[in-house]
Amino acid sequence: MRLNSLELDALTEIFNHGVGQAARALSQLASEEVLLSVPKVQELAKRDITDQLDARGADRICAVRQGFTGVINTEALLMFPVEQSLQLVQLMVGDNVPLEQLSEMEQESLAEIGNILLNSVVGSVADMLKIEFEGSLPQVELGRSTEVLCPDGDFDNLILSLQINFEIASRKIQGYLVFLLDVASSDMLERKLAAFIGALE
Amino acid sequence: MKAKILIVDDSSVSRMMIRGRIAGLQPDWEILEAADGDQALASVAADAPNFITMDVNMPGMSGFEAVEKIRLLNKNVKIVILTANIQESSRDKAQQLGVQFVQKPATLAAVQQAVDYFLAAST
Repeated sequence: MRLNSLELDALTEIFNHGVGQAARALSQLASEEVLLSVPKVQELAKRDITDQLDARGADRICAVRQGFTGVINTEALLMFPVEQSLQLVQLMVGDNVPLEQLSEMEQESLAEIGNILLNSVVGSVADMLKIEFEGSLPQVELGRSTEVLCPDGDFDNLILSLQINFEIASRKIQGYLVFLLDVASSDMLERKLAAFIGALE
Repeated sequence: MKAKILIVDDSSVSRMMIRGRIAGLQPDWEILEAADGDQALASVAADAPNFITMDVNMPGMSGFEAVEKIRLLNKNVKIVILTANIQESSRDKAQQLGVQFVQKPATLAAVQQAVDYFLAAST
């Protein structure tokens, strides 16, 4: 898939709406304002993303993986530096839960946060492109960025990358969201984007 | 008002959040939990809850399938879909099934919205 600048622009706008929904959800969980950057939408090789994560010192990441099927099939991965995962869990369950109990709830809390954030973004994409997705159950993975993103060892595969920076007043949380698309789904995404742009003209 | 409410959600953390908020809002309510659609059906048959909060994306049957089956057991139980799946198609399905739709996260405001619906629908 090679999106032209207009298509990338449209996709950024669609994601911007979805990320806004996700930020609203995070803000409700944290009871604080969430500041976010305009999402950066790029087609990148997996290697570029793992390099960027490694450059930030986030070579070990925590990821929530969720599959979405429909006319477009995609696997969405929400990734955070592993040291931010407990902060995210605290967002979910509050600051008063003891650390030992927090660790026990970590996987499940992260799965639920990922479920909420990924569905916020994917739901907006579905509504704006007038399609429907069926979501799988979220799975939490911890490991080196290369292990999570490239379990098959294929570092050169192009994927759709959406980089989001969330900033919550009391904690700095930075996240990456990537969508893995097969060839047929990439073609369908291009067609749906063309229809979206056509309807605007 | 004394009532029984069943929380259906595969995430124990979500159930914990919803339970805590309902207990704060309605201390007299009996709170039951189910982790999937099958457990929910068993609880509806055995415990006859008045109200149900239902997640959508769960292992086994979806929340929507569970609602259809629950309706065959009990037409009167009031149900709120409480889900992260915010697609219009989900809201449409909830409307078709005649149940209320509330968006996750299960904040106090979201749970309050569900409780308000239950109270209004019961009068």
